Amino acid sequence: MTFEINGQEHTLDIPADITALEVIRSLLGLTGTKEGCGIGECGACTIVVDGKSVNSCLMLGAQLDGTKVLTVEGLATEASLAPLQEQFMKNHGVQCGFCTPGILMSTHALLEENPDPDTEEISKALAGNLCRCTGYQQIFASVKAAATASRDDRITGGKNG
Amino acid sequence: MADFKYIRPDNLPEALDFLWDNGQDTAIIAGGTDVMIDVKSGKLDKKYLLDISRLDELKGIELNGRDLCVGSGVTLSEIYTSALLASNALALQKSAVNFAARQIRNIATIGGNVAHSSPCGDTVPSLLLHDAIALVADKKGIQHIPMEQMATSAYMSSLTPQQIIVKFILTPYQDGYADFQKIGRRKELAISRMSMAAFVKKDSTGRISFLKLALGACTPVPCSMGAVEAFLTGKVPTRELLWEAGGLLAERMIEITGNRSSTIYKKPAVQGLFMRILFPMVGS
Ligand SMILES: Cc1cc2nc3c(=O)[nH]c(=O)nc-3n(C[C@H](O)[C@H](O)[C@H](O)COP(=O)(O)OP(=O)(O)OC[C@H]3O[C@@H](n4cnc5c(N)ncnc54)[C@H](O)[C@@H]3O)c2cc1C
Ligand code: FES
Ligand code: FES
Repeated sequence: MTFEINGQEHTLDIPADITALEVIRSLLGLTGTKEGCGIGECGACTIVVDGKSVNSCLMLGAQLDGTKVLTVEGLATEASLAPLQEQFMKNHGVQCGFCTPGILMSTHALLEENPDPDTEEISKALAGNLCRCTGYQQIFASVKAAATASRDDRITGGKNG
Repeated sequence: MADFKYIRPDNLPEALDFLWDNGQDTAIIAGGTDVMIDVKSGKLDKKYLLDISRLDELKGIELNGRDLCVGSGVTLSEIYTSALLASNALALQKSAVNFAARQIRNIATIGGNVAHSSPCGDTVPSLLLHDAIALVADKKGIQHIPMEQMATSAYMSSLTPQQIIVKFILTPYQDGYADFQKIGRRKELAISRMSMAAFVKKDSTGRISFLKLALGACTPVPCSMGAVEAFLTGKVPTRELLWEAGGLLAERMIEITGNRSSTIYKKPAVQGLFMRILFPMVGS
């Protein structure tokens, strides 16, 4: 099986019965992606596959073949996306941090699709990501700040160019 | 964990060939949001897992004349965002709105929903509402199965291990009011879960000129709502009238299911669900 993860191509031979989450965490050692419930309800294991957020705990590893995957480790290496994480730090969107990788991935997929979401759109996109610490307000604020920051970036970028 | 082999055919004929020879020993996986639960708990006791999630033949939403075709591999997210469905099968589109969360909707398919959780799946009432016919294929040919026959508890045995649902053919409805609502949580006992889809048209005098209803419930309810539809058609909907119609619907259900203990819960539930769906018709 061959797939790309965070811009790097991997060819692996995997057992048929393991999940995408196990491929990412155990075989590739990318432990940023978390396992919470293991049954598709908490969103801690969210990754982005071909642009779409999915629960890696419910995806068969073999189904990654031929896809492009982004995990939380890939956000930081793509310089242009680091601001998303910065905004979460600034706006206190992170407390214990367990939900954070999943929330960042859902947010990333949302902002790619809709660079300027309103609160309801953010809430819908993050409905599958449970957080027991923050009460969500700080998370919504972080997403909004990230959207605004990247919009300002685009505007000044346009002026300069 | 289970011991099986993963197979991913390149096209539908290849998949059907494989099932013809190995159907008994094979589980099909589309989005996997139901199947993976069994894989993970080691309950999947098959030799093969056949991945149909990339078959082009199962994809796409199209309007061909009076046939609205929805591929079995269409995801709930695709249903959610489809402009074609919003204008031709609004109730189906609405059934995707409160379906799990985005990560699940992005991979869960309508075919998997019907094949697995019929008749409790959220897409089922809307498929019934639109008189959907499932196009089901095996190596030897194609069968057209009306949704009413699929949405019975007997359904699981009526789809053979050699068959794949290819698509659903719906009758489109335009320019009216449509909605889908559900009660009961997914994890609760199946019997307490219920859902309903409706399509309504009113004429210039405010009377109901066309009404169709469909119910999803985990009892073998033949979904004939004819009596209720006839009762309301031609009338101006008021709160009292709708309440009476909801009562009629509940009685019909009790008649059909037999007076079991579960119906005690169901009568007010059916009436309430009915009001919730049709109330926007009052005075608008
Ligand atoms: C957290 C969570 C929340 C959920 N919320 C909801 C909800 O709100 N509403 C709801 O209705 N469901 C819900 N579900 C259940 C599930 O997501 C749906 O039933 C989904 O539509 C299944 O589709 P799938 O493609 O993932 O099916 P799969 O898991 O791939 O397959 C399901 C079954 O259908 C068979 N199958 C699949 N495609 C075909 C085909 N084309 N032909 C023949 N057989 C086929 C498979 O063999 C299997 O037996 C939820 C599940 C989870 C994990
Ligand atoms: S671990 Fe995957 S959704 Fe909870
Ligand atoms: S920060 Fe602790 S779960 Fe969200």
